[in-house]
Amino acid sequence: MRRRTCLGILAAAILAFTVKPAAAADTLTILWAEWDPANYLQELVKDYEKQTGVKIKVETVPWPDFQTKAFTEFNARGDAYDMVVGDSQWLGAGSTGGHYVDLTDFFKKYNVAKSMAPATVVGYAEYPPKSGKYWAIPLEGDANGWAYRKDWFEDPKEKAAFKKKYGYDLGVPKDYRQLRDIAEFFHRPNEKRYGVALYTDNTYDALAMGVEQTIFSFGGELGDYSTYKVRGIINSKQNVEALKFYKELYKFTPPGWGKVFFLEDNQAITEGLAAMSMNFFAFFPALANPATNKNAKGTGFFANPAGPGGKPRYAALGGQGISVVTYSKKRDQSFKFLEWFIRDDVQQRWADLGGYTCNEKVLSSEKFRKATPYNEAFYQSMLMVKDFWATPEYAELLEQMNKRMHPYITGDKGTAEEALNGLADDWEATFKKYKRY
Amino acid sequence: MLRTLDPGSPAAKRGLSDISIRNLFIIPTIAFLIAFNIFPLIYSLGYSFTDFRASRNAPATFVGLQNYRDLLHDEHVWNNFTVTAKYVLVSVGGQVLVGFGVAVLLNREFPLKGFITTLLLLPMMMSMVVVGLFWELLYSPSWGIVDYALGWEGFDWLSNPNVALYAIAITDIWMWSPFVMLLSLAGLSAIPQRLYEAAAIDRASSWYTFTRITLPLVTPLLLIAIIFRTMEAIKTFDLAFIMSTQETAELIAIKLYRLAFQEWQTGQSCALAYMVLIMVLAVTNIYVKYLNRVKER
Amino acid sequence: MAAVQSHRQRAMHRVAVVLVVLATLVYLVPIYWISSTAFKPRRLATTVPPTVLFTPEVTAFVKLFTKRVQMIGQVDPAVYEKAPWWERRIYDLGERFIKDSDGHIELSAYPSRFLNSLIIAVASTFLAVTMGTLTAYGFSRFRMPGEQDWLFFILSTRMLPPVVVAIPMFLMYRTVGLVDSHIGLIILYTAFNLSFSVWLMKGFIDEIPREYEEAALVDGYTRLEAFFKIVLSQAATGIAATAVFCFITAWNEYAFALMMTNRRAQTAPPFIPSQLGSGITDWTAIAAGTFLFLLPVAIFTFLLRKHLLRGVTFGAIRK
Repeated sequence: MRRRTCLGILAAAILAFTVKPAAAADTLTILWAEWDPANYLQELVKDYEKQTGVKIKVETVPWPDFQTKAFTEFNARGDAYDMVVGDSQWLGAGSTGGHYVDLTDFFKKYNVAKSMAPATVVGYAEYPPKSGKYWAIPLEGDANGWAYRKDWFEDPKEKAAFKKKYGYDLGVPKDYRQLRDIAEFFHRPNEKRYGVALYTDNTYDALAMGVEQTIFSFGGELGDYSTYKVRGIINSKQNVEALKFYKELYKFTPPGWGKVFFLEDNQAITEGLAAMSMNFFAFFPALANPATNKNAKGTGFFANPAGPGGKPRYAALGGQGISVVTYSKKRDQSFKFLEWFIRDDVQQRWADLGGYTCNEKVLSSEKFRKATPYNEAFYQSMLMVKDFWATPEYAELLEQMNKRMHPYITGDKGTAEEALNGLADDWEATFKKYKRY
Repeated sequence: MLRTLDPGSPAAKRGLSDISIRNLFIIPTIAFLIAFNIFPLIYSLGYSFTDFRASRNAPATFVGLQNYRDLLHDEHVWNNFTVTAKYVLVSVGGQVLVGFGVAVLLNREFPLKGFITTLLLLPMMMSMVVVGLFWELLYSPSWGIVDYALGWEGFDWLSNPNVALYAIAITDIWMWSPFVMLLSLAGLSAIPQRLYEAAAIDRASSWYTFTRITLPLVTPLLLIAIIFRTMEAIKTFDLAFIMSTQETAELIAIKLYRLAFQEWQTGQSCALAYMVLIMVLAVTNIYVKYLNRVKER
Repeated sequence: MAAVQSHRQRAMHRVAVVLVVLATLVYLVPIYWISSTAFKPRRLATTVPPTVLFTPEVTAFVKLFTKRVQMIGQVDPAVYEKAPWWERRIYDLGERFIKDSDGHIELSAYPSRFLNSLIIAVASTFLAVTMGTLTAYGFSRFRMPGEQDWLFFILSTRMLPPVVVAIPMFLMYRTVGLVDSHIGLIILYTAFNLSFSVWLMKGFIDEIPREYEEAALVDGYTRLEAFFKIVLSQAATGIAATAVFCFITAWNEYAFALMMTNRRAQTAPPFIPSQLGSGITDWTAIAAGTFLFLLPVAIFTFLLRKHLLRGVTFGAIRK
């Protein structure tokens, strides 16, 4: 009995080793994160297969490990993936590291910069900023927006009480001051209802996105993206205001809200915890779906409001673009696929399936904007997106920002000035290390 | 004392010699382990002396002990070390208390003993990632059952800087006590009944029986359990990473991950890894020396 | 056999049994909760207070084995009518199956990952236990120059955090062509488990009195025969315990499974949590995946329970 099982295992092992399926000559592999848009893409590429016979496999990695896996493969100069749908922040690392193929000629030849919304071209494709060099085709547009409990807002009793207390009508906040008032108004811990749900997780780009969006809307900047100057910019008066404001908003979040990213912020709406919740548009389909969100009928969406003075107005950029991996042996086939992908009809099909297209025509069409409850807010957001640093060292910058902001916002440590001054020091040191000055 | 085969005995003339058997049994394993580990060890050691970053095409420049110096001066790193030390003490201590305690209770005949033992082993049979995810849900002040069961409304565990580390340690204890329990049980059930009988005849107190008979005989296996759990506790990553991001709960392995895979500071992460390795070697060395002393008695 | 127990001893025995049962119950509450979540309808998964009574359903398992996406818009009523009951459940949740060009539902990667886990865990456990037992015997019974150092070296192979070893391992594997292969992971897990296997088996073998083997040798058995006939059977507990722990380690390993494999040889642990990502945590699907994944380990352990509890028997040698 034992001997037979030994032999069996040995045989299986040998089989597993020797039987290597021949890599189909006509298969392309795209790497993306594990989420619904990747599933939509897998469906979209079936059309390509029908038309050309070339099979495309979309391989996915869970979000927390996506960056690790992609860059490990790049750094090992591996050809496991022909294309990758990388985060917008990866542009710097991907281009200077030689991992992405230069798509500038492709852009020129096919006029991609005209067919895609301008803000997306800047955000998902161009590096260095204002250089006219392109490394990715905008694939999945995304920005940070807000979901809210329309039904709570439209309740006549609430409307009357709000008007009495604040002097203006309760509705979608037009600026951050109104956002704060509404958060305070709906913050009722004894009813287990809270004002607002924010990003607070200090990994990757959760907290940083929330803070960044607030900074931009207060008229602040993260730094000069061309000269890398940060002192006086990242710790400017407006940024201090913005940071203090974010911390104030944190007061109106549910208990235990110190490590929150997109999942919990959605749960704040589905479980009826908060009146308003920030999240990337990519995650709003779950909220519009009555099967996953019992409050779906009463859930509305709005784009990031303007700063306290009524302007400026920005949305933090999310989203990804598709790039061709330098080490792939099937570059030409990848280019053929991209030629097909940027066609208007394909972009429309992409949008129909659920992908967040960046194609200008499709985005601004009535059909698109009315297709889902959140598309209108999405369209508005895509016109005003602004991004974090896209330099190769963006990961360190993100990490340092999270490290400085998190204890202040969730842990009550130090002051806003200290946090931002500290961040200026950190970022300067990092840029010095990479000889940016 | 080891006793080897008497070369003059009849059996020594047949079959393989002792030396051959010894070599045949030991050398493949050692050779395999050396071959497998030598490259990563040298790779990491080498890069720890450079400023290499795996994400850039630039070649590595030698910086000597710069990485080590930077790390030792970084107060965040010291914080990580103290946090990890606290965690290891609480977690392994708890596992031993619970695991050994349950083993003592289990060390008797009762119906369905096999079934119950298997049930008690279930917690450690799940992947740490899944355990972390589910316990994160359990600890949630809004929809977790820990607060509900304790009757503490909305008490925050994982976002609370004071409690986060201990909450994670509790999950760890829950998950790995069965490990200690099983090994302790194996050790306990190997103690010959006649020793207890002899003690009973001498009318020894239960305390005496426990400290003079039970403990010394179960120590070898218990120590092995402690050694391995300590090593794993120092390396803990999955559990803590998923459950909390408080500064007071940032274990050294999390710091390593951030350095290596988020900031791509390959050189520095290797240096830190070697510092951790030295720490683990030192701690384990103490345990192993103690184990050898116990065995010689 | 046990001597006649006094009243006090019998009472203590009963107390101990009660404590054990209590401890088991409390201890297993989280496990019960996870397992039951696999059978709950989605909206009941995270209620407070936790839902104890519910009508079980297998929707979560359907989700586990298929590829689905969120539906944009509503399902066509005609399509809904024609769908089988399990497909309707999915529509009820606002999702739809991904179907290939022939209209067949696409299976998720779970079945193949599960199979990979089985192959890799069984093979690496077998190798680790075998090599470990042999090596442990060698160290236990024979004098080896530098023995303490070798043993410590073996122990040290488990000390480096996987995070840091990941990149050089990956490079190493890539050079040899072992990335994304079953053999690659089998070798990796064997190496990983060897240190534990050697140390634990040595712990058990040390406790087996040498008198047995020496008696056998006097009887004319060779060393090898004595080893197989006597030591192995006496060490059954150790082998069982080692096998269980090695299997569990290989079965649940996450970090290397993620890094070293892609579509062909990837095991289940990196797959189960990846159900997150559509904006709403589907705890029922994760619970279903966990529950199914738990079964082989639990069954394996249960089958070995007699050996695990036997202990090493002492006794006078009768010749």
